[in-house]
Amino acid sequence: MFWRGQRGTLFWLALKTGALTILTLGFYRFWMKTRLRRWYWSAIRPDGLPLEYVGQPVEKLMGFLIAVVVLAFYLGVVNLILMFVSFSLLAAPGAGYALSFVGVIPLWFYARYRARRYVLARTRWRGIRFGVLAGAWGYAMRALVWWLGTIVTLGLLHPKMRFALEKFRIDRTVWGSVQLEQGGSARMLYPHFAHVMIGLFLTLAPLIDAVNAVSGLADASGTGRLFLMLLVGVPWLIYGLVRYDVMGRKVMANAIRTSGAGGGIGFDAAPRTARMVRIVVLGNIARLFGAMIPVLVFTIAIGAVIAASGMDAGVLDSPFDLLMLGNGPVPGWALLGLLGLAYFGTFLMWSVLTHVFLTMPVLRHYVETLTLTGADTVGAVVQRDRDEFAEAEGFAEALDVGAAI
Amino acid sequence: MTTIRVGAAPETYSGKGLYFSGESAEATRAELAVDEAAGTLAMRLPDGTRIDWALASLRRVRDQAGGDLMVLRQADDPVARLVLSATEDQRILLARAPNLHRAPKVDGKRKLFAWAGAAVASVALMIFVLIPLLANNLAAVLPPAGERALGQTTFEQIRTALDDSGLQPVPVCENPEGLAALDKIGETLFPDEVEGFDLTVSVLDHEMVNAFALPGGYVVFFRGLLEAAESPDEVAAVYAHEVGHVVARDPARIALRSAGSIGVLGLLLGDFAGGAVVLFLAERIIQADYSQEAEAAADAFAFDVMNAAGRPASAMADFFDRLRAEYGDEPAIVQHFLAHPAMIDRIEAARAAQPADLDPAPLLSDAEWAALRDVCSD
Repeated sequence: MFWRGQRGTLFWLALKTGALTILTLGFYRFWMKTRLRRWYWSAIRPDGLPLEYVGQPVEKLMGFLIAVVVLAFYLGVVNLILMFVSFSLLAAPGAGYALSFVGVIPLWFYARYRARRYVLARTRWRGIRFGVLAGAWGYAMRALVWWLGTIVTLGLLHPKMRFALEKFRIDRTVWGSVQLEQGGSARMLYPHFAHVMIGLFLTLAPLIDAVNAVSGLADASGTGRLFLMLLVGVPWLIYGLVRYDVMGRKVMANAIRTSGAGGGIGFDAAPRTARMVRIVVLGNIARLFGAMIPVLVFTIAIGAVIAASGMDAGVLDSPFDLLMLGNGPVPGWALLGLLGLAYFGTFLMWSVLTHVFLTMPVLRHYVETLTLTGADTVGAVVQRDRDEFAEAEGFAEALDVGAAI
Repeated sequence: MTTIRVGAAPETYSGKGLYFSGESAEATRAELAVDEAAGTLAMRLPDGTRIDWALASLRRVRDQAGGDLMVLRQADDPVARLVLSATEDQRILLARAPNLHRAPKVDGKRKLFAWAGAAVASVALMIFVLIPLLANNLAAVLPPAGERALGQTTFEQIRTALDDSGLQPVPVCENPEGLAALDKIGETLFPDEVEGFDLTVSVLDHEMVNAFALPGGYVVFFRGLLEAAESPDEVAAVYAHEVGHVVARDPARIALRSAGSIGVLGLLLGDFAGGAVVLFLAERIIQADYSQEAEAAADAFAFDVMNAAGRPASAMADFFDRLRAEYGDEPAIVQHFLAHPAMIDRIEAARAAQPADLDPAPLLSDAEWAALRDVCSD
């Protein structure tokens, strides 16, 4: 597969749409998401032909409104009653918060599945629609049970859960007349998961030991050795997590089979863990430093003004005290505006640089290392009906569990 | 430089594109030409079929990455696509198709407005009808221990929300002599216990001129109010008024209502302003947006308490008159009273009705009064 799309264009698109989102108090975010997805999708070129994202901003807005109608009732009345019960029976808010949180979890999985269904229903390649079959509640219930099992077994079941849930999703995914099916088993994930476990052990064991030593349960003679273990354990854990993520995707993608008219397509994925570690580490450093630029600019500007007006910086208790700096070369309200710019600019920069230095390089690496096999049969694929989807990804949007892009 | 010829002899244009019918995934090579007479882009497929797209109906698929391809569609056909890869072809279509950059039509606007209306209505129904109704009924049956816990939680939230520094909650003032003076006011006003409530009175080290009540018998003064008051009787009048709210369980209603509203408003504003919602609601509790009846009842309660204790109920009128003269209508507590002008009339009436010979001994000694006003210094 090819990737066609430069950081520069993505930067300006993300900056422009992000700024509009802030200026419209979040209203533009439905347009922002749509436009960014159009861009990302069109950069992905299986067999040289771009994917197309045809989702509409307006349907996202409507989906959000539908979710508001439904969730307003749930969040208002249910929260209020839970708080009341919690206070009257236990005289503490904790149980109420916990219960209302637990009550949202199934909804969370439901929303994730529905959001994936919406996005794929609005994705096309060679003019043919992708799609996901219904099954959001079944998915939510399975996810709940699997997560419970994973937590009870201290994470040991995670590969089994990952496989089962991914199989549930893939087995319900179609492209036109082509039906996908997840082959293989959770066994192919365990070799990669082992590195997470080793890293976790090397990190946690010395920490537990150190806590014991501090609390006098063990002697502190082995501290140096423990420190060494930590020095190995933490990088190993990071490597293990990335490897489990990347290699897991690889083996799962390679085990996907297709059937139906035009079926016979297969995947040959070859992403590299080392490359992904580099992207993640460098990307995080880049966005951290980049997001500090607006803060730095403001700090220097305000410092210069305070110095010029000969004012004692100690009198500034709150940002609004800037308004008192009236006699300087720059009026106070302008400084306050600058502070606002720095504040929102930091958020904006962070999200723009996340796109440019993390989302895009990660996606690009997966795309460039993926080969489509058996693509000569695709001419036989026929269209599927449009999946009308009134609520779009509204629930995911309202519950803040939207897709990464 | 390439000249794009328009008008005379444009039929010489011929290009190539990939056509996708939207019915199958087959990519079909198409020979392109502009049919000047019909005003269409004519596509000739290898099997001889000719497909015509009106130039005016051509739309370019937007926000495409790479900049190498031009993907075309018709305004009213959602699936068929034509992909152009040659720069020359793209340039010619840019010149010839007049509406290339228009957004495809959005349908279902009426449905959108219907849902928008429904969303506004359901949120309004929740916040203004259902949640208050539920909160009022639940507040009446909340057991005392639960009400106290609710008050304690809300108190901590308010202390955090009011903090400007972002470091720690607004401190509670603890000067023992000042607190003793505050207790003395309480004992004068309420020699017997207030039925069903265990009063907890505190002072917050904050310059706001205000006081408020919280569920479960919490009465909270701001330092700013103690500094603005000129006599202990003025503080006592505010004290009695807030206890009036406690006894009527007004704060429990408001706190429960805000517990419900936080979820709904947080949902609407999304991740954009999680903290701002809490701040806003904390503000509302302090401003104590009680109904006119609730204010009248708290006032009546305060007058009774002041009269029974032999203190001048007119102190409240004096206090607010002076605050208005001094600060204008800005302090929250003045605003609060301005919302109910009838109450000021009633206070005036109370002042008139008060026995002219009422000349009580000072509520606090000068030393005690000074200590109270200094309660926030250690």
